[in-house]
Parts: sequence; structure tokens; C-alpha cells
Amino acid sequence: MTDPRHPSRLSSITRRAAVGAIAGGAALAAFWPRAPRSRRTIPSGRVVLRYWEKWTGPEGEAIQRVVDRYNESQDRAWVQRVPVADPMSKAMVAVGGGDPPDVLGLFSYNVAQFAEARAAMSLDEFASRPGAIDPSIYKPAVARMLSHQGRPWAGVNTCYTLALYCNRAILAGIGADPARLPRTIGELDALAERLNERDGAGKLSRVGFLPNLPSWWPYFWPIMFGGSLYDAARDRATVASDECIRAYEWIGRCAARISPAAAGAFANSYARSFHSPEDPFISGHAAMIVQGPWLANFIRHYNPSLDYAAVPVPLSPDVPDPDQPRGMLEADVLMIPRGCPHPEESFAFLSFMQSQEVQEQLAGEHCKSSPMARVSEAFMRTHANRSVAVHDAITASPRVEVLPQTRAWKPYADLLIGAFDEVWSGGDAAAIMTRVQSRAQAILDRASDLRKRREGAPA
Amino acid sequence: MKRPPFLVALPWILPWAIGFVAFLAVPIAMSLWYSFNDYSLLEPAAFVGLENYKELAGDPLFWRVTRNTLFYGLASSGLSVVMSLLIAALLETRVRGTSLVRAIVFIPVLVPAVSGAVSWLWLYNPRFGLINSALSKLGVDGPDWLGSTAWAMPSFIVMGLWVIGSSVLVYSAALRDVPRTLYESASIDGVGRLGRFRHVTLPMVSPAILFNGVMSLIWSLQLFAPPHLMTRGGPEETTYTYSMYVYNNAFIYGRMGYASALAWLQILVTLALTLIVLAVGRRFVYYRAA
Repeated sequence: MTDPRHPSRLSSITRRAAVGAIAGGAALAAFWPRAPRSRRTIPSGRVVLRYWEKWTGPEGEAIQRVVDRYNESQDRAWVQRVPVADPMSKAMVAVGGGDPPDVLGLFSYNVAQFAEARAAMSLDEFASRPGAIDPSIYKPAVARMLSHQGRPWAGVNTCYTLALYCNRAILAGIGADPARLPRTIGELDALAERLNERDGAGKLSRVGFLPNLPSWWPYFWPIMFGGSLYDAARDRATVASDECIRAYEWIGRCAARISPAAAGAFANSYARSFHSPEDPFISGHAAMIVQGPWLANFIRHYNPSLDYAAVPVPLSPDVPDPDQPRGMLEADVLMIPRGCPHPEESFAFLSFMQSQEVQEQLAGEHCKSSPMARVSEAFMRTHANRSVAVHDAITASPRVEVLPQTRAWKPYADLLIGAFDEVWSGGDAAAIMTRVQSRAQAILDRASDLRKRREGAPA
Repeated sequence: MKRPPFLVALPWILPWAIGFVAFLAVPIAMSLWYSFNDYSLLEPAAFVGLENYKELAGDPLFWRVTRNTLFYGLASSGLSVVMSLLIAALLETRVRGTSLVRAIVFIPVLVPAVSGAVSWLWLYNPRFGLINSALSKLGVDGPDWLGSTAWAMPSFIVMGLWVIGSSVLVYSAALRDVPRTLYESASIDGVGRLGRFRHVTLPMVSPAILFNGVMSLIWSLQLFAPPHLMTRGGPEETTYTYSMYVYNNAFIYGRMGYASALAWLQILVTLALTLIVLAVGRRFVYYRAA
């Protein structure tokens, strides 16, 4: 029995100390490192694959459903999708640090960079494995994007083309025929002019069309004028060609028609509103907009009653054969980084992703067209994007262009952002493009010199 | 046997020393090495000697970002020194509510850079922003702050003033340290309020001015997050800063070697500018004897 005059060590604990100990224990329990919920549900005996992918929100949920489907379809591997923002930069650090994930979700313009650095495994290394991929399963331009210097480096994970989305109700409101959407740049200009609207103070309240709304593809317009940014055979920048200069002169005229400052301010005011209810097209502040097929996904979420239709982006009248749609194609791709822990299992997953059925599931949920050569009738019939046929036709078109397949594309593309701004402000397109071409060529030459030096050839 | 003092201290400094070596000293040394290499992170480094440094001289974008950054650094640090000193002086006057104002001035320092940038993006929005809405009430048609080549960089300079809370605190401490007797003597000699500020306050707080000026210059020469998030360097590369160019080369273009050369030059230029400011400042700064 304890003597009350000499309390035991236990009874000498004060209330404050007890509360502190409990709080400390609770904090420790809260912050104690533990495996994420997804890891705890992994069936035993499975190889865990780390798969980095950029999508979040509804698009992330869609890819997760595909991943879940794969995990249920076999008992060898378990794919863990890790949402990663700016995956290219992080992938470079991971590869450089010697700890790459098993599967990387990147963009098609990253293929050249990884391929030339041999930082990814070429898919021909798996040619003898079950599920080996035959490039003829893809639409021709898609297959072109997935290979570099004659070897396949990536699998596709949906693709996109740009189209002109039109608000048919607004068009009907000014007496235009909503069934006859613009096919040439001239028709686009004329219709856009009629659709511009100003408020009582004389400020733009609605635009018909602006080529910088959004300003995500400053390198897109030369394609619609019959031009090309890059001659792969000669490794030359070609942005100062007549077609490219005509495209940028047209951009300058678009700005001048409204006033560069007013049109720029209008576009900039929506720079952070895309893919939201305040998106300029979804909210009715832009009657026509060049966008990817995902726009339909956001329309069905934020304004399902919007009456829209899409057509191939109008062409300069001197570009022949309007029946074969021209456009720009980009894709999300899957690559297996060299040095990844489980290349065999990674390839099995990548191969699963290349089936027509899986790509149709994912493309359907993302509102995109299918990258595959064969497209099911049900996919087209039940697609949530009512203009999927337009995107599909552009993707399949022999005249669709892909971005320059060179590892110097990003610094080249960034030069075009500044050039677009300069032309928009009234700069001389020919002089600007000549300067950009010279700088771009210097970037290409330097990249080529460094590559040759690494390969041991004289620079 | 008594252990030597170094061995006694070792366990206490070891955690810091390991962190310093692993996360600072080694990366710094490696970046110096990479600056002499062609290195993309994706493939092994290949020695190229001084080529990265030679390339800087002929790179028009390097000169562009250097000009932008120096302009921002000098304008922003100068304005920051003046504004924070004025605010601190006002807060030292005997009026009610100064503690609350001091807290309000300091709060932005605690706001993460990304949150601050997004907030300012909306403030500067040409159609829906608070600033242009307020100006329109006054009958002024506000510009496209971040979309105009004339206004974009000044907008960042003004935005930089929102985080002067730390400088204000340093000035407040310095101002309170000025002996009251000096003001009393000056008053007796017939010196007015402005004269007292110029001939008493400024010399007495001049060490704080130098400190804040140097710190502000160093920070502003590293400007990255706001233009990276708000304008991506546009329009027409007018807000493209040096640190953004380093980042793009390292992590977007896959040119870590060139980025390392850029970073080393940035450190050397910052160091040189700091030494110049300290050397010039020494002529104007008054240090009281302890």
C-alpha cells in the first residue's frame, strides 16, 4: 500500500503532463508513416508497378478505371497509378537519380528526347514477348508519333486533334446558318466579325473568334496555311516559309481588326477560366473556339444544354483538297523508362493498354477520338462528344501533321510563344519569323552537334 | 580522461553537418562540375569544357533574361527599401491601431508564393480584376496589366511590395533603437520634423537600410514563382527572368549542364553586386560605437 505522504512516481504525474502525453501520442499516431490505402489492398504475390500519369479529376478517374480493370484481369502485377503534375520534368529527375517508375505517361513530343537519350526502352526489345505490338493497329499518324528514327518507343494513351467548336445558338441568333460552319479562313473571319459584341461602354462582351483564345498552340496556325515548322529530313527549322509567314500575318490582322490591346485583354481575362463554368466558350463569351475534344467533356459537366458543333479548323483558301481535313495531332503516350524495376510486367501493362477496347473506353471517357486504326461502330454511336467523327477524320487524315520530332522542340516552341505575342502587337511577321527561324536553327544545330559528339561522329 | 572539445561537440553538430554536406555542399560541387558538361539528366554527363560558358555570350535569350532580372532587381529592391522604411516610420507614430496594421503588413510574408501569385493574378485580371474594377469606378480604363509589354514587369515590381513585412519589422526595431535624446537635441536646435528624419533618423537606421537593401536585392535577383505562374515569361519575354531560364534549361529543355553554368554566373553576379552595394554603402552607413 502506498504511503500518502510519499506518493508513488505514477501518482505524481500532473494533469498537464498527462494531457501532454496523450496529445503527443495522438500526434505521433497521426503522423506515423504508413502505407497508402491503395498499397494496403494489394493482393499478396503481385509485382507492384509504379505508373506516373498526369491526369486528375474526371480524366484521372477514367484512367483509374482502366488501371483497375487491368489489375482485375490478371494476377501477376498490380499497377499503382501515381498522379504526377509536370511528369516530364519529374521523370527526368527520376531517371537521372536512378529511380524511375515502371511506366511513364508523357506527351508525344517527349518521345524524341527519351529515345535519343536511350532513357526509355524501345518496344522492339519486347518483340518476342506475348502481346508484342504491331504498329499497324494505330492510325498512321499515331504510329508515326510513337516511333523515332525508325524504332517504336511508346504506346499510345489517347490522342487529340484540334477542331473549331461553334456555339450554334449564338450563330443562329445573328442569322447565320448553324448547319453551315466556316470552312476557310475567309469565312471564319467574316463570321467572327459579325459575332463580336460590345457592351454599353464599348468594351468587348463577346468575341466571334480569336486565335489566342486559348494561347496554348502558338505553333498551330502555319499548318492551316499549308506550312510546316520543321523539315525532319534536313533537320531544318522552316518557320520563315511563305506559308508560315502568311499564317502569322493573318494572326496580326485578327488582332488589328479589334485592336491588339482590347483583343489581348479579352483573351487574357479568360486565361485561368478554361475547363470551368467560366470557360469563354461554355459561358457564351466566345462564339467559336479552337479546342481539343476534351471540351465536350467539360460542356457536359458545366453546361449540358449548350448547342454546339465542331468542324475541322478552317483552311487558307490556297490549301488544296478541303475534303481531306488538315490539322495537328498530339498524343498522350506510355513509355518504359530504362532502368525501371519491372520492365517485363511494365510491357505487359503497356500492351494491355494498346487494345482497341481499352483505348475506346479511355478515349470515350475523355471525349476524344480513338487512336486505333479500327474503331467500333458502338464507340462512334455512343460517344459523348457529338463531334467525335470530326476529330476521328482529322486523326485518320493523311494530311494531319504531328509536332516536330526532335529533342529541341520545346525551346523551339517557346520561341514561337514570344513571336506570336510580337506579331499580335503589330510586329512585322516576316522579320519576326526570319529571326525566330535563325534562333531555332541554332538550337537545332547545337542539339545535333551534341548528339553527334556523344555518338562519336565528327560534329 | 577529458575528451577534446571537438569530440564533445561532434555529436551535436553532426546532424547539421551531414545535412549540409549531403544537401548543399555536394550538390553545389556537382553543379560546378556539370557546368563543364553536356548533361540532360537522361544520359550520362559528357565533358565539354568551357563550351556552356562560351555559349552564354551568343545566346540572345540569356541577355534578355539578364536585362529583365537586373531591371526588376534594382527597381524592386530600391522601391522596397523606400516603402518599408516609410511604413515603419508611420507605424512608429503614436496613433491607435499600429499593432494591427503591423500585423496586416506582415501577414503576406506568411502566404505561400503560389497562393499569392494566384491571388494577384485575379487582382490584375483585365476584365474581372479588383484593380481594374476600382479604376473603372473612377472613370479610368485600366490596362491589361500582365498582358501589356509596358505594364507587365512594373506589375511584378508593385506585387513584390506586398511582402515587405520582414523589412518593416527590421526598420521598426532600428527606429526604436534611435536615442530619444538625439531628437530632443535636434528639436532644441530648431530642426523640423523632416529635418529630424533626414539628419537623425536616416543616419541612425542606415545599417538597417543597408541590410534590407542587400537582402532585398539578393531575393529579387532570384525572382521565379510569380512570373512562372502568372505570365510564363510573356508577353514578348518581358517578364522572363533569369531563374526561370535556369529552370527551363534544367528541367524542360534537358540541358542541366547549361543551366548549371547559368546558375553559377547568377551566383557570381549576385555576389559582385552585393559587394558593390556593401562597398558603396560603407561610405554612407553610420555605425554607432558599442
